[in-house]
Amino acid sequence: MIQILILGLLLGGVYALMASGLTLLFGVMRIVNLAHGALMVVAAYVSFFLFTELGIDPFLSLVVTMPTMFLVGVVVYRWLFTRLEGTDRYSEMTVLLTFGLALVIEGLLGYFFTGIFRSTSPGYATNSFIVGDLFIPRGQLYGSLTSLALILGLWLFLNFTKTGYAIQALTQNRTAAQIVGVNVRRVSTLSFGIGMALAGAAGSLLSYLFTFFPGQHWQWIALLLSLIVLGGLGSLAGAVVGSLLLAVLAAFVSNWLGSTWSPMTFYLALFIILLVRPQGLFGEKETV
Amino acid sequence: MIQSEAPDHAPLEVRPRETRRSRTVFGLILLAVLILLPLSRPLIGGPFNYVMQIVTIALMWITLATSWNLIGGYAGYISLGNNVFFGIGGYVGGTLLVYQGWSPFLTAPLAGLLGMAVGVIVGLITLRTRGPAFIIATIALLLMASLVFDNWDLVGGANGLSLPLPDWPRQWVRVPFYSAMALTALASVLLSWKVAHSKLGLGLRALAQDETKAEVLGINTRRYKIIAYALSAALPAVAGSIWGYFLTYLRPSVFFTISIAAQMVLMAIIGGRGTVAGPVLGAVLLVGVNEVSVAQFGSSELNIVVTGAILLIVLLFFPLGIVGSLRSRRRLPGFLDWD
Repeated sequence: MIQILILGLLLGGVYALMASGLTLLFGVMRIVNLAHGALMVVAAYVSFFLFTELGIDPFLSLVVTMPTMFLVGVVVYRWLFTRLEGTDRYSEMTVLLTFGLALVIEGLLGYFFTGIFRSTSPGYATNSFIVGDLFIPRGQLYGSLTSLALILGLWLFLNFTKTGYAIQALTQNRTAAQIVGVNVRRVSTLSFGIGMALAGAAGSLLSYLFTFFPGQHWQWIALLLSLIVLGGLGSLAGAVVGSLLLAVLAAFVSNWLGSTWSPMTFYLALFIILLVRPQGLFGEKETV
Repeated sequence: MIQSEAPDHAPLEVRPRETRRSRTVFGLILLAVLILLPLSRPLIGGPFNYVMQIVTIALMWITLATSWNLIGGYAGYISLGNNVFFGIGGYVGGTLLVYQGWSPFLTAPLAGLLGMAVGVIVGLITLRTRGPAFIIATIALLLMASLVFDNWDLVGGANGLSLPLPDWPRQWVRVPFYSAMALTALASVLLSWKVAHSKLGLGLRALAQDETKAEVLGINTRRYKIIAYALSAALPAVAGSIWGYFLTYLRPSVFFTISIAAQMVLMAIIGGRGTVAGPVLGAVLLVGVNEVSVAQFGSSELNIVVTGAILLIVLLFFPLGIVGSLRSRRRLPGFLDWD
């Protein structure tokens, strides 16, 4: 019982990292990034090859994946999204745009790296700490701690720096932020980069926590989107709480019904939350 | 502000008689070609079955894209999981054939009704939200369906279910599938036209522009959306039933993949979403592109890249699609103006 709880919480920490980038993008720019999962998988491939070719530990490769993905984010934002600014139904257009992007990435990954299931295997990935009669998998513990550290860093950045305030201002009201002198385009680009950097970090962790292959990103994105709808689109706290909650729930479901059905937890939770509280746990009622 | 605002689109113009006539003539020609095609065996000769197959596939995509357009185009609710209904239809037709021996041609309408019923139930839940949350829910629906069918032993799980082959003469074996698919496609285009010209269609387009305003004007938006969603579920289910029999096997990976969803959306958007002719045009174009790209690259990976890249280009440069862009420039030829 407690064992399952621990495993669920450890996974939940990593999910929270993945979801935080996604919810940040939605909160700041109303972009639902369907390519988030695909870009995570890209980062996982980077980590994989750094590990197999150069023997670089996945944690060390964070130093590479995060800045790289930050740059990718900046370029993608400037190159694709600024063109759509000002179109009506911006939010839906961005969904379709990132949908196309995800397909392109998936196809390219499949073409270059084939559909083989891969995973890095540093020593700690398979061993555990034993505490009493409980075991705590080392790899997952490290992953979870790193994730929480990054999320804490993001939170501190948002709440204690000027740029962080600017990002929050954009979340609340774009036009008003512009009026009080926030450089909307610069801050948006920056947030997109940060969101992507978080996806990059998540990808590095993913490379040893899970096996991955090109087409897998749809499962990831559906899971993550369920998490952030549950938490309330755009809410960082919601993303974290939603991740921990659902990861624990999924751990129990997988214990009862087998791991095949654990993704179902996320999808069903999404439908239930839409029935009961469409705006999500931490979301505010939509104002038009 | 008392000064009246300019309407965002030109008031409905009275079409010149020649536009209407060219449209009728074009429609009649298409219809005649569709009817005469199965009889052209002596003329086409060897590749007859191949031609039949390609046209059947195109007709299937016309059904899928046109149906998607009802909810995604008219109502502006982008669904990335509408192939769920296509799959449900396929499985209804297929399992009834395997376990009861009933021909999918006869059970296809049943599949359509069931698809519609599922559409109403799903719509009751997912249409409570709008915008991004709705799109997310439709993706979750698709993955949920693929998970269920992957693990449902009665229908063969991930390995699928083989259907008995029809014992028709080999040279004519494609024709019944072709005819059924042609009827389905025709029905879907007629439905789309009918909706576009009804109070329902007017309401849907109003709520696509501004849902709150539409509601204030007394449109029961919730009901309208659910009707549109259910209608968009019906004919794909019929097509699925026929398609499963055509392939002679059912497998979740045939119906419940995201790339099928992507194609449906892409066809409607390329042609012009919210128009009657757009999805038809888009479907025909993309089936052609797919044929060429599979022949050229031979791999499904690059095919995914091509699909994604076309979607990006169209969104960035022609978000209105072919029909929409031509119309906004007043260059739309009369025979393509089906609205």
